[in-house]
Amino acid sequence: MKLFFRNIFLVALALMLTTTACDDGFAELNTNPNAAIEINPNFQFSWIQLRTSGERYENWRAVLIYSSTMMQHLATTCGYWAGDKYTYNAGYSSSLFDRQYTQAVKDMQDLINTLESGAAGDQTMLGMARIWRTVIFHRLTDIYGDIPYSQAGKGFTEGIDFPVFDTQEFIYMDMLKELEEGIAQIGDEGGFGDADFLYNGDPGKWRRFGYSMMLRLGMRMSEVNAAEAQKWVEKAIQGGVLQMGEDAFIEHTNGPEGINRNGIGEVLDLANGSAGERCPRLSETFVNWMKDHNDPRLDIIGTLPVNGTEHVGLPNGLDTETILDNPTGTSTDDFSTVNQAIVKVSSPMMFLTVAETELLLAEAAVRGWGSGDAQAHYENGIRAAMKNWERFDASIVVEDAVIDDYIANNPFDQADAMRQIGEQYWAATFLNEYETFANWRRTGYPELTPVDYPNNITGGTIPVRFALPQGELGVNPNMQEALNRQSLPSSFPDHFTIPVWWDN
Amino acid sequence: MSKKLLTTLCFAMLLAFPLVAQQTVSGTVTSDGEALIGVNIIEKGTSNGVLTDLDGNYSIKVGEDATLVYSYTGFETQEITVGNQTTIDLVLSAGVNLDEIVVTALGIEKNKKALTYSVSEVEPTGFAEAREMNVVNSLSGKVAGVNVSTTASGAGGSSRVVIRGNNSLSGTNQPLYVVDGIPIDNTNLGEAGMWGGSDGGDGISSINPEDIESISVLKGASAAALYGYRSANGVVMITTKGGSKRKGIGVEFNTSLRTESLINTYDFQREYGHGRNGTAPTTVDQALEEQLYAWGEPLDPNRNVMQFDGVERPYSDAGDNIARFYETGLTHINTLTLTGGSDKVNFRFSASNLDNSDIMPNSGLIRRNFTLRTNAQLSDRLSATVSAMYVNEIANNRPRLSDSPGNANYTAWSMPATINVETLKGDPNKLGAAEDGTELQFNDNVFVTNPYWAAYQFDNDNKKDRLLGKVQLQYDIGAGLYARGKIGLDRFTNRTRNLEPFGTAFRPLGQLTEEQREVQELNTELLLGYDKDLSDNISLSLFAGGNQQRNFSETLGGSGNNFNIPFLHAIKNLQNQSVNYGFGEWQVNSLFGSAEVGLMRAIYVNGTYRNEWFSTLTSPTGSGEGENNQAYYSAGVSAVLSDLIAMPRTIDFLKLRASYATGSGPGVAANPYQLNLTYGIFGQGHLGRALGGITNGSIPNANLIPLLTKELEFGLDMRMFTGRLGIDFTYYDRTTENDIISAAVSSTSGFGSKIVNVGEMSNTGIEVLLTGTPIKTQDFSWDINLNFAYNDNQVLSLLDPENDGESIRAGESRTQSAYIEHVEGLPYSQVGGFAYVRDEAGEIVLDDNGLPQQGEFTHFGTGVAPTMAGFGSTFRYKNFSLNFLIDSRWGGKIYSATNAFAYLRGLHQETLEGRETGIGSIPAEEVEDYYGRIYSITEQFVYDADYIKLRQVQFTYNLPSSVIERLPLSGVNVGIGARNLALLYSAADNIDPESTYNVGNAQGLEMFGVPSTRSIQFNLGIRF
Repeated sequence: MKLFFRNIFLVALALMLTTTACDDGFAELNTNPNAAIEINPNFQFSWIQLRTSGERYENWRAVLIYSSTMMQHLATTCGYWAGDKYTYNAGYSSSLFDRQYTQAVKDMQDLINTLESGAAGDQTMLGMARIWRTVIFHRLTDIYGDIPYSQAGKGFTEGIDFPVFDTQEFIYMDMLKELEEGIAQIGDEGGFGDADFLYNGDPGKWRRFGYSMMLRLGMRMSEVNAAEAQKWVEKAIQGGVLQMGEDAFIEHTNGPEGINRNGIGEVLDLANGSAGERCPRLSETFVNWMKDHNDPRLDIIGTLPVNGTEHVGLPNGLDTETILDNPTGTSTDDFSTVNQAIVKVSSPMMFLTVAETELLLAEAAVRGWGSGDAQAHYENGIRAAMKNWERFDASIVVEDAVIDDYIANNPFDQADAMRQIGEQYWAATFLNEYETFANWRRTGYPELTPVDYPNNITGGTIPVRFALPQGELGVNPNMQEALNRQSLPSSFPDHFTIPVWWDN
Repeated sequence: MSKKLLTTLCFAMLLAFPLVAQQTVSGTVTSDGEALIGVNIIEKGTSNGVLTDLDGNYSIKVGEDATLVYSYTGFETQEITVGNQTTIDLVLSAGVNLDEIVVTALGIEKNKKALTYSVSEVEPTGFAEAREMNVVNSLSGKVAGVNVSTTASGAGGSSRVVIRGNNSLSGTNQPLYVVDGIPIDNTNLGEAGMWGGSDGGDGISSINPEDIESISVLKGASAAALYGYRSANGVVMITTKGGSKRKGIGVEFNTSLRTESLINTYDFQREYGHGRNGTAPTTVDQALEEQLYAWGEPLDPNRNVMQFDGVERPYSDAGDNIARFYETGLTHINTLTLTGGSDKVNFRFSASNLDNSDIMPNSGLIRRNFTLRTNAQLSDRLSATVSAMYVNEIANNRPRLSDSPGNANYTAWSMPATINVETLKGDPNKLGAAEDGTELQFNDNVFVTNPYWAAYQFDNDNKKDRLLGKVQLQYDIGAGLYARGKIGLDRFTNRTRNLEPFGTAFRPLGQLTEEQREVQELNTELLLGYDKDLSDNISLSLFAGGNQQRNFSETLGGSGNNFNIPFLHAIKNLQNQSVNYGFGEWQVNSLFGSAEVGLMRAIYVNGTYRNEWFSTLTSPTGSGEGENNQAYYSAGVSAVLSDLIAMPRTIDFLKLRASYATGSGPGVAANPYQLNLTYGIFGQGHLGRALGGITNGSIPNANLIPLLTKELEFGLDMRMFTGRLGIDFTYYDRTTENDIISAAVSSTSGFGSKIVNVGEMSNTGIEVLLTGTPIKTQDFSWDINLNFAYNDNQVLSLLDPENDGESIRAGESRTQSAYIEHVEGLPYSQVGGFAYVRDEAGEIVLDDNGLPQQGEFTHFGTGVAPTMAGFGSTFRYKNFSLNFLIDSRWGGKIYSATNAFAYLRGLHQETLEGRETGIGSIPAEEVEDYYGRIYSITEQFVYDADYIKLRQVQFTYNLPSSVIERLPLSGVNVGIGARNLALLYSAADNIDPESTYNVGNAQGLEMFGVPSTRSIQFNLGIRF
């Protein structure tokens, strides 16, 4: 018995001795040796810019399958290209929403938080970051209407798990304020330097990019609140917008990873391991418009049909059965495809071009906002739009004389200016389909004839918004209110016909 | 080649040992003067055994110094040391063996009647059992409260074992596996999800069933309390066979051959052929678009219709594609065992080779197991056990599941009636390929892969080398005091190769990932114990100790896409190459103690305590308020009433028990680096600039603490009528608090989920085990075994205790219209989605186009069946024995994406309605829009997952001793067994209700898995 108690004592002693050291070295052990606890803002800003350019996922679904066909840039007989026939695919519709918040907004908010706290970086960086944030969000709200904005991306920094949905009106007002304040924060010193893929950190270009964004967002409100629109458009013009050659785009490369590649190229570049997407053809609407205007871009944008020596566009809304009765061709090989040279994985991704800015300036002049010369801006817009294709491939050269001819043959007509500008904007934003879709809804140009495919979800009208992810409804308790206030019914396919705030 | 080698080795061994010294023991077993038939006689420590014949006679060849164990239902088991005896006649006395020894937590042996909690032992059923390749699958239907679900993932797939319901909403709910006292890693190496993927197998599937002596299941928190943070989900303790003292070396050779055939549960319509909008294709373009759709015209054998390859073939029923595409699975297992021993040292060594070809063409598994276990008495007081198990596993082409890319199941099952899958074979020398060597594309959706291309040209291989080793020393200090120390290692290297070959339609230039992962767990344990009978009426059993668990995993690999030289599938041939690297390391330190007092050998009181420190909960930056340690304890009492008070004569034994324990599940403890935000650097960058971004997909949380379960358990154990009837009843009530949830948050927060300590969940249930022997005569006996378990799971609260009606999302189907959610007030794992819009009378309301509409988001029921019942029965007649097992599940739901696609594509029988007449305002040629709309209405595809399965039938024959005596052998057994013989009842259309595609917490989703199979196995065991 004595032995027993002695042993108990020994065990107890041993336990006490070990207890004090039971978590020695644990803090070090739980430090991830392969990740950083802090990040250089330059690395993160570069990352965010590429994330905004996006992946194959949303570029395929939101840009190509839906927008490009609805906008009749492209057409297809493939059933799953839902935009060609206005049918519903939940995942395609919500793809931009599904990806951008977790891929771009998360780091964007984190970076702004770091810069605001002064833990790293400088005010110029903060100004640029705030401008870039509006680049991300304006696309989202233009497509989906009311979205999480003021509370978005703050899951870690502020512990907001279920952000409220802000009204589009609120978002627009705030984005314009952010642009104004962001531009003001950009000093001549500091910034992201060459970590900025747009302008290598050039503060002047960034200010002008900010004002071009302000012009775009201000003009977006022309139909819903003309006075407010005019105010911001004039403020943008006064501030000074982008000059020739200052297009906002990111260069992509062949790899090694998806983030390096152009998302549209990943879908369409057959030589570089794209999925072999052989569905799309140039739309008859787009081809015929270019033909009617004797547009040199037709040979840049299009590749001749397999069966043919001249460009032929495929009518939208055909399927493999109805194409058999189509008078202009009964096989998909009878129609022009997109030129591979402009949809490479290494093609640049356009965010905002001088062409767009000039055309918006032309529109402002027509409206009497500011004091610009509508015709000059219109012609500059066309010139910039055509020249812009030279960025895509060394094989593409657009001679000034060709552009001069085009302008001479398609002279500016003050009486028909809004239509002319709208159509040129449509042509100039090919492949930047988010912008095409937004400007078409605002201006109604070009006047597209909708298709009426059996059992489409819009009753034969071109969709005017995308449905939000239906899955979000079960997760975020704030979504139902946003649906209610926008009169969006419980059936998601019915959302496509309900205009967003600025489109009212 | 290697199989041949092993077989040769086997026979060489056979030749080498024919003259090992052996002796034959024979005799008669009786009771009350009557011969007992079918008494099980086993040479202790081996699987050498015979049954007594019609006259109670037996004859068995044994090694020298053998001990024979005689067991018979309803009689006391006896052990007899053979010595020099050649005849042993034995009288067995009726009654119950009340001194069964069971292995409990930390390998401590206890008398079963002292247990204050439930421990279920799965007895070795001899060598003729119809075995599963994954040993845990054979628990299915045998132990009340143990729910085994297999995945529809082919050979070597993972299993999901859940004991007494689910404890955690997002951590693992699977038990801890302990093999000979060493906790082993059971990580699921890859699983399929909504976007496809494949199952990578798990840890427990590496164990060779042949090596297993017994399995003991510690079901509740009380039984497992000494495993601390790994206790809440129960513990499955596996004891492997050891050697024993004998003369010479015993040689045993077992061989089995198993065939597996597919169970075709599909019943698709075969009246309309491929096509859309009520017309068959006329051009190749159309055929490419319509090949997968059965919305064509009525079959007409006299008419030829265009198919994808431009060939017109008869528009008639093309026959059974399933039989054409899938093969008969074949598994060959050879095991050679050597045993030997002296007074001081004994050993058992086994080598086993498993060679499987799956029902999925070009897919299979090879597994080689080498197991050595040695026990040594080093001195009077010091003993040692050294064991090592080496497993080499090669899985060839694990099939892809769920979504379509690379998933052969997706297409092979779902061809319209007019399509013969063999027309997709293409080049006979390169199956699935067109003339140019790239994928023969048979439809215009590049993501629907040609099934032959997927099966024959994709690679999804892994090679796993695993070593389990243990050294244990025990020193008898004297006076009841002992010290024990052990070190256990589980280490494996898993090498994977995943190829999407050059020419694949959805990835024309190909993609390749080569990766190697090393995983290790090392446990070091020291324990000091004291066992003493203080008096005749008071016994004491105490121990205390400490354990250090250290885990580490590292992944290194390369991946990339776009092969430069076509079809040269080498990593250096890739245009774009990336390095993959992953690392994780963590540690848990524990101190524990246990005390048990026995009174009058009838009342036992015990208690345990364990405190654990977790590196994973220790903040690297010192921030956060969470504790990094947690204490667990248990207390229990049992009383053998039949020893304390007078009982009616019919009651042999009656015990009541009660216990309470706290415990925890691995959850966060097994996931390092979750407490703070970290940034990953993409050093290669873009255009010469480095990139870096947040790596956390979940919102990190510095305040995490381990989840805590509290469980109260009552039990009754009664045996009656001289053991002819046994009742084992358990009631438990368990709550889980502070569950660590990866809760789905709005993706607009920037993150997909958030790791939080929230929620409360309860599991209340009963387990009943009835055993009986209704008939026992001289020639014939009939045993039955009935087990029943009901578990009522309730999610009591989730994120915010103040807010009712919250839910969190755990999974999503590829159709994006069905989800798995955990919802307050409802059981775990609710199948959720959209109901039909209905009017007040419950009729479906159509929209203006005449189509049904997606209505309210509804939870249709739990994906986990609350009720399980199993019924087993064994008939013995002379030397023959027949055994069957029926297994059933009740009350669960399953969402079948396969049926949703069958609607979308016009394959489902129910889509025949309206094809000639139209439906309402929808004309006949547009009914596919009607059914296509239903595709997105979840309600239509949620089925009751109830089933009754004839899980096992087994027939064995022991060669009579009179025959064996004339052979140079000591025993021969022949058996035939069948598994999953029949689906006796199912409420789901077309699918096996037991076919979820992963083992995670989103249970209740099904989509294009590998079809389930029935297997028939022949066994032959020979002992020399």
